[in-house]
Amino acid sequence: MNETLTLARKELLDLRHDRIVWIVLGTLGVAVVLSVIVASLDYRAQLADYEAYVAQVTASGSGVTPAAPQLFPLTLLRGGMEYVEVLAALFALMIGYGAIAKERSRGTVDLLLTRARSGTSIVMGKLAGLAVLWAAIMAAIVVIALASVAMIGGATIGLHEVARVALAGVAGWVYVLFWSAVAVAVTTLTRNSTGALLTLLVAWLVVVLVIPQIGDTMDPDNQVPGGLFKALAIAKTDEHAVLDHFTAYESARNGLEVSSISKLYERFTFATLGIKDTYNGQSLAFIWDGTFRYVYGALAFTAAALTLAAASGRRIHTLRRS
Amino acid sequence: MTTAAISIRSLTHRYGPTTALDGLTLHIPEGEIFGLLGHNGAGKTTTVSILTTLLKATSGTASVAGHDVREASHQVRRSIGYLPENVSFYDDLTTMENLTFFARLSGLRRPEARIGEVLEFVGFTGHDRERVGTFSKGMRQRVGLAQALIHQPAVLFLDEPTSGLDPEGVKALRELILRVNADWGTTIFMNTHLLSEVTKTCTSIGILRSGRLVHHGTLADTVGAFPTDDALERAYFAAGTTTS
Amino acid sequence: MSTILTAARHELLASVRAKAPYALVAAFLGMVAASTFIGWRTSVTVTSIYDQVLADGLTTQPNPFTDVSPLYYVRNTVIYVLLIGSLMAATLGVQSALRDRKAETAALIGTRPVDGRALRAGRLLGLGLLLAALVGITQIITWISVSALVGGPLSASETLAIAGFGVITWLLLIGFAGIGVLSGRLLRRERTALLAPVVAWAVIAFVIPQLGTAARPVSLLNPVPLPAQDSGAFSWLSQVLSPLAITEHFKTASAALLESSSTGSPLASALIVALFACLALAAAVLIRADRTTGGTHE
Repeated sequence: MNETLTLARKELLDLRHDRIVWIVLGTLGVAVVLSVIVASLDYRAQLADYEAYVAQVTASGSGVTPAAPQLFPLTLLRGGMEYVEVLAALFALMIGYGAIAKERSRGTVDLLLTRARSGTSIVMGKLAGLAVLWAAIMAAIVVIALASVAMIGGATIGLHEVARVALAGVAGWVYVLFWSAVAVAVTTLTRNSTGALLTLLVAWLVVVLVIPQIGDTMDPDNQVPGGLFKALAIAKTDEHAVLDHFTAYESARNGLEVSSISKLYERFTFATLGIKDTYNGQSLAFIWDGTFRYVYGALAFTAAALTLAAASGRRIHTLRRS
Repeated sequence: MTTAAISIRSLTHRYGPTTALDGLTLHIPEGEIFGLLGHNGAGKTTTVSILTTLLKATSGTASVAGHDVREASHQVRRSIGYLPENVSFYDDLTTMENLTFFARLSGLRRPEARIGEVLEFVGFTGHDRERVGTFSKGMRQRVGLAQALIHQPAVLFLDEPTSGLDPEGVKALRELILRVNADWGTTIFMNTHLLSEVTKTCTSIGILRSGRLVHHGTLADTVGAFPTDDALERAYFAAGTTTS
Repeated sequence: MSTILTAARHELLASVRAKAPYALVAAFLGMVAASTFIGWRTSVTVTSIYDQVLADGLTTQPNPFTDVSPLYYVRNTVIYVLLIGSLMAATLGVQSALRDRKAETAALIGTRPVDGRALRAGRLLGLGLLLAALVGITQIITWISVSALVGGPLSASETLAIAGFGVITWLLLIGFAGIGVLSGRLLRRERTALLAPVVAWAVIAFVIPQLGTAARPVSLLNPVPLPAQDSGAFSWLSQVLSPLAITEHFKTASAALLESSSTGSPLASALIVALFACLALAAAVLIRADRTTGGTHE
């Protein structure tokens, strides 16, 4: 255990001098802030449209006033969470790759192997260091998210909001831990650094973007601008009744989506923050009932990736220079 | 009177605050095998880098095969061949594909016949369809020499050519260098820190110490001043402490 | 001219021999092959849903998918080009730029009597030919798969539309390859050289359209164009940032070619994609970067 901690500490010392850490924090922070700005402007534009419409209705002498657009402050974080889903995964891969690849290029793996108890402890030490780093980055993102919702969105932040954004932060941490473990395992097991880097890029592309995109594009409602059911003037209750006839198709589509950890992370986060309408304003118990499968799924993926990373330690000699 | 293959005047190069080369002046006649000796960091590689147009000197002038390295770098490149210390190639390509690429860049339109000739000269036939990535250091060094000679340069620059080679490899390369000079009359400029190599290969030597040329003369004159078995070693350590 | 051709030939040979980007190329070709099937399966389901809705008497609207062109099935390919294709092109560009540093051959090339710009142009020509070959393969796959789904060969005009889509695809890819080359030449480590064009791609594909339309980032990967937010700050931002939303212009121009619903002016969009390619290529050839030596490792 001591050995793992020593390696984790050394990894953090190394990362302290790595500019990429600051680039990651800066990019994610800017993406979150930018998304809140865009969402706030969008909400204000909707509100202005609504007010203009109300004025028109009042002028026409009609007594019916439509419902005003509602703002649930945490929904302003939707874009930001999507950036975390896409970019944090990529950054976790790159930092995880760097943690292992540098030992190969510096030729220092021999020095580690003659001191550490096993390759597994070297790999797990590095992962422990990465886990601490990402905990710090995610904590910073949580603070930035809350601050931007309060300062840009003009929302009041209470314990309710803090708890939910913190929960989303923990989910994000588990998510990037998965990608860090994948990066460490693939880089350790691949003889060629470029091969490892490109394999990781393909994994990111497929899991984070392609699989969710296929699921999204197969959604019948996404086939027409503005939504198929809206175009056919069908109410929400009828929509569900119609879709009940297509359960096999929907199950296949859903199955494809949940085979990606990114989608699991997204569903849980969107539920927690109330971005998905069904969970808006609901209690955490209600959210847990609807999302525990995603949580278990994401934890299972992460545990599998950590196990693979630990096992890859046994093959750490592939990093030695021939 | 012999013309100078390499002519250097007051050449200085600085990397930030560090002076790597300090007012080097040197003339090497055509047909010589010149060995530049010096400790690690003495300025040997900087000198070769400037002469091969890879680096622009901070001040001073230098010409190779009659062309100024700064003003006529294109002509200099036509006249030189270069074998770096750790010669590398595109590992996924074969010997033939690598050499064809470099030969074409040197202006040879149909280099296949010439490649065969040079590979035979360096004693490396039968490997032209093999990928360079599978070669040992010695084999790479032969391909490296082939790429440096492919366009029959007037001046050949070798940077620590025997570094990392086994004794057989060292001997074979030494014989090749002597043959290049004897058969084709190529002037050879060789960087090394191995005194034994200089005695067996070079006709004249220069000794660099902290960027300054502290000795320049023929091998016979240099060794003659110390009539013992370790003459060159004694000359090397004496250089810079006595007038050369 | 001889330097350009030599460098182009070498680029092709070296790119084909380097196996590391094969997975990315395979993902690109595989997804293009799958996309026609995905498009077909989805439209069959939507038609069934419409029939169901009609049978239940829930709508009187016409089926939005009646008489759709066979090229409708190709619309997912547009997304895979901008998603996988552009990243593949950028990666090939990075690998091309790093090749001499990784192989440590920069000194051997630097001592040859060649013009650096000709060498860089030749390499880009080789890269362009490689990408043209890959795009050509995707167009053939598309033509065959759509023909198989509709039960007969596509018409001349549909074939021409696919070819036109191929041209616009090539322009987008060569532009990203140019960005990759620049990144590889300017940045020291392979990791950052690869990361930079991916981040640049994310900015072009997600951030700029998001700022202009208030669209959520991931929804921009749906081939159906989103209704643009045209009020307030977005209208102004959208006008200012529009020329930079290259992937959105690519979607617009492709949608027009493939007879899908399209927003904006397809011709102007196609010209913007072409301009992007020209600028990226010019920068990759003309910008001189001196980072030619030293390792690319961590």
